[in-house]
Amino acid sequence: MTLFAAIVSVVFGAVARDKGRERVLYGLKIFAEFMGIGLVLAWLLYFLPGS
Amino acid sequence: MAEKGLSREESVRAESAPAKAWLAAAAAWLVPGAGHLLQGRVLRGLLLGGAVWAMFIIGLRLGGHLFPLAGPYDDGLSTLLQVPPVIANLGAGVLYLFCLLTRTGFTDQASLATYEYGNTFLLVAGLLNYLIMLDAFDIGAGRKP
Repeated sequence: MTLFAAIVSVVFGAVARDKGRERVLYGLKIFAEFMGIGLVLAWLLYFLPGS
Repeated sequence: MAEKGLSREESVRAESAPAKAWLAAAAAWLVPGAGHLLQGRVLRGLLLGGAVWAMFIIGLRLGGHLFPLAGPYDDGLSTLLQVPPVIANLGAGVLYLFCLLTRTGFTDQASLATYEYGNTFLLVAGLLNYLIMLDAFDIGAGRKP
């Protein structure tokens, strides 16, 4: 998940913003969102009864 | 006639994208990163192309499955359900075509426990390359710095 988030964040950051600093900040934001949402969903699913 | 929300100059520029923009987009699709490299955006090309190449290769190493252009698919709805992943896989350009020619990654039987992660990596690699292709086109058309 970390690797996936890192690669996608690099592409999104480079494509969606035009200036260097904005790119880095946007990439970091996307990475943090991927990781945060992924961890929250993982914990939610952990408490759901499995098959 | 100017489109709604665009100035006349922007509208004219949008309608008449130069041939180099189309060439850059085609190169970007065929070889991930090449569209930017052709336009002298070396760092950006290496970064974006490297991301797609890395994602595709990691996907294959994780045991991911590529969807073939033509069957054997069942008739009916299941055939239609195969179309979106084929379009996503096709986005990887030469990476997909190479695998198609060498029959790499097309086995139906999952050999690794991580194959679903691999599938996701392969699909997203193609989809990201579509984004990169549009970026290369915009640069060629002068819509992006």
